[in-house]
Amino acid sequence: MIRVRSPQNLGAAVIFISLAAIGLVFGRDLTFGSAAKMGPGFFPTILSLLILGIGLLKGASAFIVEGPAIERPHWRPLTFVCAAMMIFGLAINYIGLAFSAALLTFIAAEARPGARWGEIAVLAAVLGVFSVLLFVYGLGQSMPAWWGE
Amino acid sequence: MMDAFSNLAMGFAAAGSLQNIGFALIGCMLGTLIGVLPGIGPIPTIAMLLPLTFGLDPLSSLIMLAGIYYGAQYGGSTTSILVNMPGEASSVVTCIDGYQMARQGRAGAALAVAALGSFFAGCVGTVFIAAFGPPLADFAQKFNSPDYFSLMALGLLMAVVMAQGSIINAIGMVLVGLLFGLVGTDANSGVARYTFGVSELWDGVDFLPMVIGLFGIVEIIRNLEEPELDRTAVSTRFADLWPSWSDFIEAWKPVVRGTGLGAILGILPGGGAVLASFASYTLEKKIADDPGRFGKGAIEGVAGPEAANNAAAQTSFIPLLTLGLPSNPIMALMMGAMVIQGMQPGSAVMTSRPDLFWGMVASMWIGNVMLVIINLPMVGIWVKLLSVPYRLLYPAILLFCVIGVYGINSNWVMMAMTTVFAIFGYVLVRVGCEPAPMILGFLLGPMMEENLRRSLVLSRGDPMIFIERPISATLLGLCVLLILVTVLPAIRKSREVAFAGGS
Repeated sequence: MIRVRSPQNLGAAVIFISLAAIGLVFGRDLTFGSAAKMGPGFFPTILSLLILGIGLLKGASAFIVEGPAIERPHWRPLTFVCAAMMIFGLAINYIGLAFSAALLTFIAAEARPGARWGEIAVLAAVLGVFSVLLFVYGLGQSMPAWWGE
Repeated sequence: MMDAFSNLAMGFAAAGSLQNIGFALIGCMLGTLIGVLPGIGPIPTIAMLLPLTFGLDPLSSLIMLAGIYYGAQYGGSTTSILVNMPGEASSVVTCIDGYQMARQGRAGAALAVAALGSFFAGCVGTVFIAAFGPPLADFAQKFNSPDYFSLMALGLLMAVVMAQGSIINAIGMVLVGLLFGLVGTDANSGVARYTFGVSELWDGVDFLPMVIGLFGIVEIIRNLEEPELDRTAVSTRFADLWPSWSDFIEAWKPVVRGTGLGAILGILPGGGAVLASFASYTLEKKIADDPGRFGKGAIEGVAGPEAANNAAAQTSFIPLLTLGLPSNPIMALMMGAMVIQGMQPGSAVMTSRPDLFWGMVASMWIGNVMLVIINLPMVGIWVKLLSVPYRLLYPAILLFCVIGVYGINSNWVMMAMTTVFAIFGYVLVRVGCEPAPMILGFLLGPMMEENLRRSLVLSRGDPMIFIERPISATLLGLCVLLILVTVLPAIRKSREVAFAGGS
């Protein structure tokens, strides 16, 4: 009976095959050319085919070799860390570095259960002031410091 | 040899300015600061600190980066010895005997031997680069497109063979990296490839969002998944840091052996600190009179590997600086930084900017002096840092990563790209693919394509050109040999399994 023996290998196969598919589909309009006169599509197509080969190999091995299961993802850290980054990127032009740094601290603190909010508030204030002092005044990077532009 | 010394003198003149010594010191400090934190190895450390160096002139930025690298690696050793928590693969070995020594109250001796051994290895490594760099760069002048293509193929293959985990996955990641490297406007035809209508991709995938997402952010998320660990360091009095005379006697030979081993393994593409420290530990255990002491606090088990990984860390710059070939992911980060500074590493740097090359070599030695200075007397401070709980550290580290990306390119799209790469990296780790080899492919992608194109134009499309040229043929021969060496034991093993199953 066919069953998945190595879920990790199957997962890797899915990633490789999808990337190869993207490479082939979005590269189909690029001129392939010939060996003597390589077009822009020549190398990407070869690479995509090689990746496809690796993907198929991994896919086949998933049904043959025993292997570890894919660990269940922990959504909480993943979500809040990514959210903190995105919101920082959106907010900095409106509320400046100090406040977005503090905001990032508060959102990131949620990535871990049982945050102590008093402690986080102090940390947020310290990081906000410190990052402005270091990056804007110390390293002279151009970004809105205390408030938006 | 005289040449090497006069060149070194020029290097010291360039690197010895107050400003550059300052940057070397800051680099070592920051590297140690982040490297000491458990679970953060040199790759994420360098990725996180990379943006800080961009505003500097090329020499200062390279000096600072090299300092960060040594600091990160050395900081990892401190953590291994005191907390038994390797920050990275090359410190795993140091944990074995170093932590045992610490538990026996000999933490001071272990730290001092590690620092002094590393310093010795660093000095020898610097001389190595000064001696072997120029001849290798001269040799590289003979290289043509087919030779470069074969060299890169060999480099990537060796990096894959030495990578952690599955070889197939590593090959896949290198290929994916090569493909990612081709995103953007094709230099030859001017056609935009894989830009998906995003104008930020016209110049290719940005290096910084990629490495910070793949390594920095993923590292934070991975650490957050673990419960807060007990990070109490072994308590020791650091007053008696200096190793005793007998420690010294026992340690100096392994240090010399480790240095030699590390210096040679570091030059090989794919080699580097990890391989060197493992090889040295195995060697010391093999030639010891009483191998039973290993794992129970043998000083040789700290001295040898620590010297080896530092020597290798040093000499792995040789292929990068002379051939333009990054031999491991850390060198790939260095190369990325050089490219951002507008340099294409390779033999051309040595002839066109000798001050840069020799300045960097000299700064390596300066960096090693700094390491001893900041690590031995200040070890107490780093230990204090270990007791800061992770719940307070990670928002600061995250903020640092994010400001780094934003500071280079104040653009929301960069943040989105970082997030995409973080998620991509997280998924990769979940399915057992280490993303590190991808960086090597990413940097070599455009160069490999260009050299392939030129070779095939030269030969009018005949692939035989790669085996008709002696240098290229030799390199490809090494590739085949390497594949055979790697595959054969596996075949034998699976055959044995099959036979065992049949009987």
